[in-house]
Amino acid sequence: MVYKTVPQDEMTPYDRIMTVLAGKKETIDRLPVFNAITTYTLHGMEIFDAYWPQAHKDPEKMASLGAALHELTGLENVEVPFELTLEAEALGIEVEFFEDKIKWPSVKRYWVKKIDDLKIPDRPEEIRESGRVPIVCEAIKILKKRYEDRVPVLANIDFPFQSIGGYIVDTATWYKWMRSEPEKAHDFMKTLTPLYTEIAIAYLEAGADAITYREEASSLANIHPKTFQKFVKPYLKDSIARAKKYGRAILHCCGELWSPNLENVSGLIECDPDALTVEEATPMVEVRKIADELKGQSFPIGGNLSAFTVLYQGPIEKIRDRTKKVIDDGCDMPMAGCDIYMETPTEHIKAFVNAVLEFGTPAPWRRG
Amino acid sequence: MTFLPQKAMVMSEKEEIMKKFAEASSESDEDKIEEALNEAKELGDAQLIAMLKLIRGVDIGDEEMCTEASKEAVEAGMEPYKAIIDGLAKGMEIVGEKYECKEYFLPEVLMSADAMYAGLNYLLPLIPTEEKGSKGKIIMGVVEGDVHDIGKNIVKAMLTATGYELVDLGRDVPTDDFIESAKKEGAQVIAMSTLMTPTLMSMKSVEDKLQKSGMKDEVKTIIGGGSVTDDWRAKIGSDAYGKDAMEAVDKVKMLIDQIMVAVKKMKETE
Repeated sequence: MVYKTVPQDEMTPYDRIMTVLAGKKETIDRLPVFNAITTYTLHGMEIFDAYWPQAHKDPEKMASLGAALHELTGLENVEVPFELTLEAEALGIEVEFFEDKIKWPSVKRYWVKKIDDLKIPDRPEEIRESGRVPIVCEAIKILKKRYEDRVPVLANIDFPFQSIGGYIVDTATWYKWMRSEPEKAHDFMKTLTPLYTEIAIAYLEAGADAITYREEASSLANIHPKTFQKFVKPYLKDSIARAKKYGRAILHCCGELWSPNLENVSGLIECDPDALTVEEATPMVEVRKIADELKGQSFPIGGNLSAFTVLYQGPIEKIRDRTKKVIDDGCDMPMAGCDIYMETPTEHIKAFVNAVLEFGTPAPWRRG
Repeated sequence: MTFLPQKAMVMSEKEEIMKKFAEASSESDEDKIEEALNEAKELGDAQLIAMLKLIRGVDIGDEEMCTEASKEAVEAGMEPYKAIIDGLAKGMEIVGEKYECKEYFLPEVLMSADAMYAGLNYLLPLIPTEEKGSKGKIIMGVVEGDVHDIGKNIVKAMLTATGYELVDLGRDVPTDDFIESAKKEGAQVIAMSTLMTPTLMSMKSVEDKLQKSGMKDEVKTIIGGGSVTDDWRAKIGSDAYGKDAMEAVDKVKMLIDQIMVAVKKMKETE
């Protein structure tokens, strides 16, 4: 399969995505070729000589890896960082890095029981200097300089609800607190949210055009939408509102968010992000319906190609068909619904890029 | 002549109350639960009352209720093993169903698991050693590179409730530990879990090593977790995939049955 060069139309990838995120998708020429969470693969790692763990710690390597799929396939955004322990590390949790091409860093087997066990800075701004936050900021500056305003630079953070349960407090303990010690759960959310928001703002001020909030513990596999309303929404909504003063905010949630009698798509949209992206367990058609109802047709939604069964496994024909289907289902930003699998062949990502160009040109709403 | 039907009638009344109570619990019908409990009290069957309390304790995640009811069951002369299967495991099954139909979520399931363990802590030590682990032994853990162990813990709770012996290696478990532990413990099943995609490869490493070690006839593998699919199972040559905790329990039963049958056959041909 020959990779078609992304046509140099009147709009740049930056214009296109930023216009969509501004809620003005009606004016774009074609759909963006976008991914709100992952922009690298193992092949990219090899080509650009940016391996783990250096790519987590060295701004140059981080920037190179974050631009890997843009350079290799024409994916229209670049993004850093690449894993989920970064925020916990900035709060003093010890992180273990592996000399391994696939494995992400992990936390040492140590779980905090109370806020005081964490390294909470006296002033929220101080978190900007903690852990690898400055490294990510540096990588963002490098990317911004390299791509100027042609290609959008994204950054991502893990929202505290997911981050606490995954890397800070023992997971089972964390979820039980929702029932047994709700004040304690609120305490953690209340203390940590401003700090994570500060990290998001630091990335945006360093030059990121948009920030993706990963709040993947809010699916129906984990909590009831009522629990989301209590323990996540007020904090997430506040954080997004603050971050949006500095740039665009995308909200991403893996896992099932919709079933015939219960859904949390609306809960997430009510947090007022500029866009929502979901995975294949959540039907795009339903997301579209709910988004239309709550925010109108200009609210952008993204997803929900299976990172594993479609993008990794292929074949190319299937990637093409599924990409067409998500566009038909009302998706504005077709992308992998979850992190792109490291060993995904570059040819498969190219097939995805080509499929978006094929079925997303012109943008569906511009067709006569 | 009159004795037998009478006894059968009493048995069926007890069973009926059990059934009604289980149904009411599944439907979360508080009035019906209360009703069944009162009927049991009227019948004056201490074993039945204890059993219903065990189910209820697990269902609503009440550790104290489970510990108390476990004591009451034993005091009423119930076999500890029966109290586990018909009481705690039944409760966990109801919790599993409620999770599946999105009535319960992680907080509820985890509280229930704790309540079940509270009961197990009392009942398991009362079971004679030779009876323990006779159903089968399972090594389980979250594969290397991943610390997300909630799914694994829920599967562990369900399997423990159904009478299997579990060796829990925890999270971020090195490849070799799975193999060595299976060898050392004489386990029939290795159960692996991961939530994230980057750690899927760790499952393949365990599967590859197990195949190379020539233990594949005696030890089967089952995989599950957020990023795991049946396609991945087929690709790496694992024996089973559980899409959720309930399915995992069924598949583990199936695997252990297969091995038990194979071992029996082997012994017969010898």
